[in-house]
Amino acid sequence: MSELLTREEYEAIAANLTLPVNAFIDGSFRPAKSGKTFETVNPATGVKLADVAACDAEDVDFAVSRAREAFDDGRWSKLHPSERKDVLIRLCKLMTRNARELAVMESLDSGKTIYDCETVDVPETIHCIKWHAELIDKIYDQVAPASDDHIAMVVREPVGVVGLVLPWNFPLLMMAWKIGPALAAGCSVVVKPAGETSLTALRIAELAYEAGVPAGVLNIVTGSGSQVGEPLGKHADVDMVSFTGSTVTGRRFLHYSADSNLKEVVLEMGGKNPCIVMDDAEYLDSVAEHVVNGAFWNMGENCSAAARLIVHKDIKDDLLERVKAAARQWNVGAPLDPSVRVGALVSKAHFDKVCSYLALPEKGQIITGGKAIDGAFVEPTIVDVGSNDDTLAREEIFGPILSVITVSSFDEAISVANDTEYGLAASIFTANARRAIRGARALRAGTVTVNSFGEGDITTPFGGYKQSGFGGRDNGVHAHDQYTQLKTIWIDLGDPFDSEVD
Amino acid sequence: MTFRFTLEGIYTPIVTPFEDDGAVNFDALADIVEHLVENGVHGIISGGSTAENYTQTVEERLELARFIKDRLNGRLPLIVGTGAMRTPDSVALAQGARDMGADALLLGTPPYSVPTERENALNALAIDRAADLPIILYNYPGRMGVHMGEEFLDHVCRSRNVIGIKESSGDINRVHLLARDYPHIQMSCGMDDQALEFFAWGARSWICAGSNFLPEEHVFLYETCAVNSDFAKGRRIMSAMMPLMRVLEQGGKFIQCVKHGTEMAGLRTGPMRPPLRGLNKDDKRQLEQVVSTLKITIAAIKAEN
Repeated sequence: MSELLTREEYEAIAANLTLPVNAFIDGSFRPAKSGKTFETVNPATGVKLADVAACDAEDVDFAVSRAREAFDDGRWSKLHPSERKDVLIRLCKLMTRNARELAVMESLDSGKTIYDCETVDVPETIHCIKWHAELIDKIYDQVAPASDDHIAMVVREPVGVVGLVLPWNFPLLMMAWKIGPALAAGCSVVVKPAGETSLTALRIAELAYEAGVPAGVLNIVTGSGSQVGEPLGKHADVDMVSFTGSTVTGRRFLHYSADSNLKEVVLEMGGKNPCIVMDDAEYLDSVAEHVVNGAFWNMGENCSAAARLIVHKDIKDDLLERVKAAARQWNVGAPLDPSVRVGALVSKAHFDKVCSYLALPEKGQIITGGKAIDGAFVEPTIVDVGSNDDTLAREEIFGPILSVITVSSFDEAISVANDTEYGLAASIFTANARRAIRGARALRAGTVTVNSFGEGDITTPFGGYKQSGFGGRDNGVHAHDQYTQLKTIWIDLGDPFDSEVD
Repeated sequence: MTFRFTLEGIYTPIVTPFEDDGAVNFDALADIVEHLVENGVHGIISGGSTAENYTQTVEERLELARFIKDRLNGRLPLIVGTGAMRTPDSVALAQGARDMGADALLLGTPPYSVPTERENALNALAIDRAADLPIILYNYPGRMGVHMGEEFLDHVCRSRNVIGIKESSGDINRVHLLARDYPHIQMSCGMDDQALEFFAWGARSWICAGSNFLPEEHVFLYETCAVNSDFAKGRRIMSAMMPLMRVLEQGGKFIQCVKHGTEMAGLRTGPMRPPLRGLNKDDKRQLEQVVSTLKITIAAIKAEN
């Protein structure tokens, strides 16, 4: 990625963008069969960006049938692995060539800052697809230890037609997390982007087609959860659904599966992730940077956001002063301004929801922030909630609100951290190696980071314990595996005439 | 929900009547509009090549379109042609069309520059952005030098405004391509001698200059094929029309013939703007003879009911 541009330059690019608004099915853009559309809005300004195709069950059915046909005739699923790799790497090159357009489109549609789009979302999206592309022809099947008279092969095959249901908080990156391994494995996919953020998914599909992903293999069906997500979840010809989003919707996909063809379901859902800072933590300025990044990155619209700061009483005041100072560096404003770190929340409805949480703290509990601005922006806010039983400490807010809980011991910190229905991520800051490792093992979460906030990277699996999800993991070889089926091929080598020869 | 324009029927790219000094004859234009409404066409296109748009300024074209829009007064949809050498001119035409409340755009390829498919698509999307109106693409490689190929079509269909295509290449394989691979783009016949084939492949409309002077006959073929699916009768009607198509498409004097045909229908069209000239006496006689035979034959087919 080249250097950042000025706000004026980004706005000029935005003004000249042609936004894709039709669904992408079977290799071309198509309006919804009903002709219906829905508005997609720039959340930072409230101005309509475009009318996007409002697809329904009929469009889902069409997309699935084309995906099924593509899978069954092997135009992609049976392509030589190195050829699938070449096509996906070509897609990465096209994305690199169009990176700036993608970054601006993403920022406009989601309210994310151009800074994050340019430095994180777009480059990581490309990196993710490239990593899975490179993996395709470097993983081997297995031969199990059987007798001399048998060969027992354990092979992996693409699972088939996969429904990929995306969240709105990382429209590009979550698409890459799913289409990267699914396409690499040889599946055909039907993607349902979030209604709020459909545009970049459509653009990626266009680039993928240009790169050589055959028609029918990558389909994007735009529309609402009830009109597109539900028919996809219930479709009898979909072999698997991978969903990232709310726990409420995740449960629905399990019902859809149970009520239809028992398709496999992989869920990646919410989190209320603890960030423990013990009294022996070193480099508190650095800790404060991590705390702020964990809580406010992407406006807190992040399932792995470190939304609960569990801090030892002996360093609480010292740490909070530094956290406040660090939070002040995160300026709020127009997403296309490259100096802005906190952009707009994704929609007016979501803004209202986050604001309802801002109204909960009593006087004196708000340590910093607390203001909502222009119906779209929320200041980074830190609230001393006192107890882990407080609503702000229990519910997933998905906004830039950090709840602070004070503890007196290591065991109490672990206990409070685990006192949540979620288990996606957790972090612990301590200079004591024994505590660090004991803590990492004791925390009930899919990813635990020590002396840092993070999610790992493309090489490490990402997913949750408890109600944060199950069924598989994004990222790493494990993501690739979840889009495949295991098959045993048992070959009998015995010669039935052996005994007669004797 | 955004309105989606449906192409059903006969759409007439209306001629532009001129005075001897080259000025637009608006009275005559009003008469032609009334004639078309009365005779049952389904929509009017202003500023097409049949209107001699290449001889007109952007302001003139917008004035003509506004005049037709006012005369129609909502009785029929108006589609405004945006074809021009310069993209800014096409954009201005598109914006003007939006401002006057036109129903759709007819969007061709800029002539002479021979853009690549990608350049052509970006040009089309720029025009689309300017108007946000339904768009009927106009593939006319014979005059523009380039096809609207698959790369172009895949790219422009990012926009939901792209609802149709007037296919004037004459290549029957294009009809198959559009019908099979682009069913979401409404295919409209733009090659008069292939109207029957277009209807057989599911086209529901015909954008035909001949309807300036033979609207009833064109509507009859549309109704027979597209509405009633009676292709046996349709073939007879088309067969009766073929001599006219030969004169129109292959005589090299397409617009001249259309304008003279319109004069034959009792309307005033006046002279051509240069560099074109009107028909000579022999050409006129040939056209008159063909039209006369056509009308008698089709009237007889119609009378069978």
